[in-house]
Formats: sequence, structure tokens, C-alpha cells
Amino acid sequence: MNTYRGDSKPPGIGTFLLRKIYDDDLFDDVSGDLQEIYSNKVLTHGRILASAFYLIDVVLSVRNYDLKSRKKITQNNSIPMFKNYLKITLRNISKNKIYSGLNIIGLALGMAACLFILQYVSYERSYDKFHENHEDLYRVRYKVYRNGELNIDCAAAVPRVGPFMKEKMPEVRAFARAYPTSGVVTYKETKFREERMHIADPDFLKIFTFPLIEGDVETALAEPNTVVISETAAKKYFGNTDPIGKMMNVDGEHSVSVTAVAKDVPNNSHIKFDFLISYETLNNQTRNDDGSSSSETAWGWYDFNTYVLLEPGTDIADYDTRFAEYLWDERGETFEKYNFKAEFPLQPITDIHLYSNLLQESEPEEQGDGDAVFFLTIIAFFILLIAWINYVNLSTARSIERAKEVGIRKTMGAYRKQLIYQFISESFILNLIAMILGLGIVVLGIKNFNQLTDSQLSLQFLLDPVFWIVLVAIFITGSVFSGLYPAFILSSYKPVSVLKGRLSAGRSGNYLRRILVVFQFAASITLIAGTIVVYQQLGHMKALDLGFDMTETLVVKGPDVFGADSLYESTVETFRNELLKNPEIGQITASSNVPGDEIFWTNGIKKHTEGRDSYKIIYNVGIDYNYFPAYDIEILAGRNYGPTFTTDTGSLILNEAAIPYLGFESAEEAINQKVTFWGQPKTIVGIVDNYNQMSAKAEVSPIAFPLVLRASSYYTLKLKGDNYQSALEKVQAEYNGFFPGNPFDYFFLDEFFNRQYNNEQKFSRVFTLFAGFAIIVACLGLFGLSSFSALQRTKEIGIRKAIGANIRNIVFLLSREFVILVLIANVIAWPAVYFIMDNWLNNFANRIVIGLPVFLFSGVLVILIAIMTVGYKTVLTARSNPVNALRYE
Amino acid sequence: MRNIEYPNMKGTYLGEFEELILLTVASMAEDAYAVTIKDEVQIIAGRKVNISAVHSALYRLERKGFLTSNFGGATQKRGGKKKRYFHVTNAGYEVLRIAKDMKEQLWKNIPQLSIVTY
Repeated sequence: MNTYRGDSKPPGIGTFLLRKIYDDDLFDDVSGDLQEIYSNKVLTHGRILASAFYLIDVVLSVRNYDLKSRKKITQNNSIPMFKNYLKITLRNISKNKIYSGLNIIGLALGMAACLFILQYVSYERSYDKFHENHEDLYRVRYKVYRNGELNIDCAAAVPRVGPFMKEKMPEVRAFARAYPTSGVVTYKETKFREERMHIADPDFLKIFTFPLIEGDVETALAEPNTVVISETAAKKYFGNTDPIGKMMNVDGEHSVSVTAVAKDVPNNSHIKFDFLISYETLNNQTRNDDGSSSSETAWGWYDFNTYVLLEPGTDIADYDTRFAEYLWDERGETFEKYNFKAEFPLQPITDIHLYSNLLQESEPEEQGDGDAVFFLTIIAFFILLIAWINYVNLSTARSIERAKEVGIRKTMGAYRKQLIYQFISESFILNLIAMILGLGIVVLGIKNFNQLTDSQLSLQFLLDPVFWIVLVAIFITGSVFSGLYPAFILSSYKPVSVLKGRLSAGRSGNYLRRILVVFQFAASITLIAGTIVVYQQLGHMKALDLGFDMTETLVVKGPDVFGADSLYESTVETFRNELLKNPEIGQITASSNVPGDEIFWTNGIKKHTEGRDSYKIIYNVGIDYNYFPAYDIEILAGRNYGPTFTTDTGSLILNEAAIPYLGFESAEEAINQKVTFWGQPKTIVGIVDNYNQMSAKAEVSPIAFPLVLRASSYYTLKLKGDNYQSALEKVQAEYNGFFPGNPFDYFFLDEFFNRQYNNEQKFSRVFTLFAGFAIIVACLGLFGLSSFSALQRTKEIGIRKAIGANIRNIVFLLSREFVILVLIANVIAWPAVYFIMDNWLNNFANRIVIGLPVFLFSGVLVILIAIMTVGYKTVLTARSNPVNALRYE
Repeated sequence: MRNIEYPNMKGTYLGEFEELILLTVASMAEDAYAVTIKDEVQIIAGRKVNISAVHSALYRLERKGFLTSNFGGATQKRGGKKKRYFHVTNAGYEVLRIAKDMKEQLWKNIPQLSIVTY
């Protein structure tokens, strides 16, 4: 019976809105009126116009909205009651300034800490999410198994796999490769060494969201010898002139023309570039006689970051299995022949920053740590929890003071529900004040936080709706959570007993309060002990004998631009001799890598006697005669290369790790054995100590040190004396003289090497900061609690003193309970610390063992802090004159 | 029935449109609900009014106590919803009378037209 004619029901949206505008009792007849008009109009004007008029009528009805709200107000009196709650809350705050202050400051600190961490965490998790296609973008990993053992697990794949996937797998919409490189870029007089340089496929700019400011995405990287530069690079080289079409020079060899300018890569991208050179440029350089290019066909050259864009909703496990079959069809023969197996599993690009720690990551120093982020999230939650516990503790402890108020309110006719509302709204008000303070701390402290944690948070987040949603969620949860328990306790008092004053002091919730205090301190101890372990591990790694000397070591980047190749060796020789004339310079060595620099150069190696199937991959560091002496690396067996040994082109030096790797019994046995390396037989002449080529975090990999006199990537100079500045100037002058056209780039090796610990250092600083936050907040609570309990026992103390107790007895009496609680907290925290931190330490090849001192130290520290916190008020109470105490009534 | 507030001195003020609606309701005696009132105003005053404006005026007048209402007559045309019939209360007649008297007094005071009488 709802419709007049089957087809004349007015638009539902209008009726829906109408229901919002009017109260139930008005809605019925008003909507009836509108519908009647509509029905009339359907007959005269047709349905469409009638619907339009209906909607207009509905919209105009908004003017009657006040009929609704005004009526509501007249119906109940909760607003005046809430005004009363607000007033009482504010009075309570000003009446007990210390407790309220402790409460609010604790909450504010907790919220600030939580907001900082959430910002940090959300930044870490935002990596690569700015790509429009981020959900369907994957990086192709490269895994090689030899004899069933994982040999290589690399972020960069081989050039052929991208096109091959596109051919075989229908889900692949597009692929792009990026080959990381570096070089000296020159434009007119401006020259810099550029590290953020990739050689990229044309589709690179299409599958990723790196918008162009100038130029066309379709054509930008299509032609050989073209380059796309970032906004920053454009400013750096071209100032305000238009870069499009200008020719730049790379390494003095290749001229490339600028086809597009891209917006700078956001900080939260796992791959960063200032220069993108077209892939065809590389193809032209690697052209074989038959016209194909190795950079298109090679299956073994793994330097190519390969990304694929898949159809939405592709099942990756299934994809990997199916691709493995195609791969076997194509490569199975080779795999069997050489006894190895390669895999190309996909990895979501959004996982790269936090959950990937492979060889040849695009930005290895920047790699985040998913575990650390997870830990921090938990810490944030804990700090907040501690602050909320404070609130619960202090409010229940003070319940006796509020009991009379509750009694009066109940006698005056308040329902229990109303009292619960009252205390929850009180909690809302305190939380609101705390939240505003907390936000203030975040806004003021964000710079310091950035400095401390070496992160790049900005106040931009204040504009982010998600942030506000989270904030409001925290606020509401916290208010309700922390307000609920006190509200129920307080509202449960029976007016008769309360008003008669028969309520025993603070008995209710005593047990719970103790549990909460134990929990707070267990959390604080865990954080403190965790921080100590992180610091110890860092110190351990830094103090570790790395097997080489990196003090007073200056490293200069070798020249990329060099005119006549044939003259290179003799030029380097003269350069060296000139420099060695300076008394400040002790040693000079040229090499393809320096310690702390990830080795990208690998080759196959096997015992000469073995067949082709036993080739193994080994890292290469090309060195000259002076490398080992300069770095003070110990030679365990055999000898160093020497200019006097004319046969040294056929010699090879290995590190100790390579001995078992290649199947030799001992260093001595390996000497004078022959291996096949670079396809030629080489005699092992020396074995060097396993010095830490990379950080002490990982095991030392097997490395071969071929004699490469042309090695030019780095010149290492050992400095003598204190005057680094003058030495540096002399080196620069010589360098500029010998290698014109090359920028002088240098670094000190210790700084360079230790940057590998940046992540751990950052982690430890963040850890310390928040352990500090946690302990402060917990102490605020303890202080409030203990001073309150002292206050309640004033009379008892007075009597005890009158009878003859001394101050020490009293202090002992008052602190005992809290000290016992903190001791229990220790017992709980220690196993937790051991379990968590032992797990963390397992990430390191060189790890410390967690000793008892860590626990004792953190335990004693927390107990001392607790005693000091409790002590202040207790001593004051204990010293007070018993007369005053007993006159308390 | 909705709660009705008693008219107070402030509430006796009538807007021009309110007065028009109130008069219309008074003149209609029966079958006065929003839609018919709207039609009547359109015919008598010769001006187009929107239903929401009529609602606004009616409920305001009801709140001021010049109108009262009762429900009746649901039709299929209205989607089965009841009509709200309005009637002028005594207070309503009183305020209309006051308005009329005041206007007549003013008319009488206009010198040129003082010869015109009822």
C-alpha cells in the first residue's frame, strides 16, 4: 500500500534526506505532503520533472532543520549537566594541581612519544606507495643455487629476464630495467661526479610514477644517447635556462642530449636518480658482432634492477611456479650442464624498503628494518599504555576524595549511569588537554627528533586526514579506556557508607594498582635493558678488530675521465711518486674497492683440476702491489704481489674464507695450487686474513684479489701527522694536475666504513629516547602514587614517630611496597629482555652475549630511580613534625 | 499531539507570510493541510510559494500556539502517509484580530482616506 501507482515513487535519495531533516513525528506528514505534490506533478508534468521538483522541495526543506534541533534541546537537560561536569573537572584540576599536573604531563608525554613513533613508522611504511601502480609493481629478484645451496640472493637481475617474462607471461603488462652506474657529468664548465645515475628502459617512467616537468613520457628514453634529468640536476647544470635538447657529457666519452626533466624523486622511494640514460645507449655499447647486445641477451650479468607491472590480482606464488617452468624450458640445459639453478622470484616493491636485505640493493644505506619498525610500534603502544595506567592509578588512588561527591550526587538523585558519564567525560577533558599538549610537544620537538633519528619528518602530517583519524582514535580509546575503570569504581560507592565516612582509604583497586605498577616498570626495565644491549652490540662491532687499519686513511675517487688509455698506468705511477714526496703521505694504493664499499664485481672460480660444473661465484677486488701493506692486512700464507715477480699476471691472492669455499684443506695447502679464474689458470700465491670487507654485521665472503694495475676506482692514501688539511690540499692540487676534467671527491675511510652502522645507531638513539620517555612517564605515576599513599598514612606516621620510630624506619616503611613491586617487575622483565634481544642479536655475525651485568645494571638503575621518586615525598612526610600529623583532623 | 508552548508576548509577533498562512487556514475551515494551504495561497495571493516555506510557517505558528493540528486521511497518493490538518486556535484568532485592528487603526489615521468607512 505504499505507492499510488507502481511507477510514481519519488526518488529515494530525496526521502532519505528528508528523514535526516525532520524528526520522526514531523517526517510522516511532511513526506506525505511532498509525495502528494509529486504525485500531482507526475500527472501534469511527467515523472522526470516531478522528480526534479520533488528534489528541489526536499533541498528547500533544509530551512526547517532547526525545527528538529530546537525540539531536542527542550527534551532533556544533559547539556547543563555536562556544563556542571566540566566545571567540577576544572575545579578538581585546580584543587589538586600536582596530581592533575602529573596526570596530564604523563599523558601528554605518552601521546607525544606515540605520535612521534607513529609518524616515523608511517614514513618508513610509506616507501614506494606514491606510485600509482604500487600494488601491482614487483621487482624481479635473482637467486642462484649451486649444489642445492643458495649462492647468490640479489636485488638486481639479469638483462634478459625482463623481456623473457614479458614474452612468456600474459600477466606482465610492462617491464623496465634500471642499471645503476655513476660517472662524471660535464656541461660546459660545470662538472660533478654523479652517483644517482641509472640506465633505464623507456617504460621505466611509465610504470613508476615519476612525473615529468618537461618532455614527453612516450619518447623521453626511446632514442640512444638521451638522458632524463631531475629538477635538481637541471638547476645544478643549467641554472634557469631550458635544459631540453642540450648536450651533456658523461665520463668524457658519451654525449647525451637532455629529453626531459623529471620531478625530484621523493625521499621515500627505494630507487633514486638524478640521471636516467636511455637503455639503447647501453645496447649500443654492448653490441656484439652479430648485431645483438649483451645488455639484452645476457643471462648471467646480474646488475639490472628489473621491475614488472602485472595485471591486478595476480597470484604471485602461482606466477613464480609457472615462470620457473618456462625458465627451465629455456635454461634447463645450461643449468644441468653447469650444475646450478637460477630463480627469479617476484618481490612487491612496497616490501623493498623494510623487508629486503639483498645484495646490490639500490640504496643499501637507506634500507629500513621492518623488525625495528615493528618494535617501535609496540614501544609506542607501551608508552601510551603506561600513561593511561598512570591515569587509572591516580584516579582510583584519589577515589576516597571523590567519594563524598559521589555520595552527595547519588543522594540528590543521580543515576549510576550519569556518574559513569561524569567520570568518563572528566577523562575526556584531561585527555583532551593532554592531547593538545602532546601535539604541542610534537610540533616543537620535531626538528630535534629529526636530528636525533636522522629522519626527514615534516609537519606536513598535520594536513593528513589519516593522522587526525588516528589521533582522534587514540584520544577516544584512551579516554574511554582510562576513564572506564575509575568511573565504575567511583560510581559503585554506596551513599550511606560514603557519607558516614566509613570507606577505608583507597582499598578498592589496590591490588589492580600494584599489578599496573609492576607492568609499568617491567616495560621500562625492558626498554632500558634493550637500549643497553643495542649500545653494547654497536660498541662491540666498532671495537672489533676488523683485520685492517682504517685510521688516518684518505680515499680519493679515481678518475673516470681519462684521455689516452695507454698512458694511464704511467700517469698513475708518476702521480703516486709525486705524492709520496710529501712527508704527510705514507702509502698510496689503487684498488677497485675499498672496505665498506659493496663489491659488485663477481666472477666464476674453480680448482683448475675440476670440471666446468664446479664453477663458483667469488667476489673480486682488483688491487695493486701496495694494497695489503697500506691497509695493514695480514698475509697468512704465501706472499704479496710484487713488481719483481714477472709472473704475477698469472698469480692470484685469495682471502681465508675462499679456502674452504674452493675445497682446500688449509691455507698452506692452497699455496701454489692452480685455479681457473677469468677463464685462465692462475696460481695461488698468497692467502690473506679474513678482514671485514663489509661491516661486522655479516660473515666475511670469499674474495679473490687479482692484480689489476689499472684499477682506478679508488686511491687510498695513508696520512701521517696531524695536518690533514694541508695534506688534503696538496693531494687535490696534484690530482687536478694529473687528471684534469675530474672532480676531486674524497672521504675518510673510518667515516665511510662506519656509515654502515647508521641504521643501528639510529635505532639505538630512538630506543634511548623512548626508553627515557617510558621511564619518565612511569616515574610520574609512581611519584603521584607514593606521595598520595604517604599523605594517607600521615596519621600512622605521626603515631609511629611519637612512639619512637626514626626517619629511616619511616622511609623504609613507606618505600618498601614500591621497591618490592619494582623488584617483581625486574623478575618479569629479565626473561622478556633476554628473549627479544637475543633474537635481535642473531641478525649479526659478530654478536655479543647478553650478560648478567646488563640485567643488574638496568634493574638497579630502575630501583634507584624508583627509590628517588618515592623517597622525595616519603622523606618529607617522615620528617614532618608528628604534632602536625596528629592534629590532622 | 505535539507539545505546544504557550504563547508569550514575544511570540505574538506575526510575520507577513505567517499572517497570510494563518488567515488562509482560518478561511479554509476544513481540509486545511500543507498542500491545500499552499494551493489556496497561490490562488488568493497569486504568488508562488514552496511547500517547505508553508511547512516552516505552519510549524512555527503551531509552536507559537496559533494553530493546532490533528491527523487524518491517509491516501495512496501520499504513499500512505497521514495528513496533518490545521485549525486556528483561539489565540490564533486573537492575534489575527489584533493585527487587523492595528491595521484598521492605521488606515483610519491616513488623512486622505479617512472618509472611507466600512
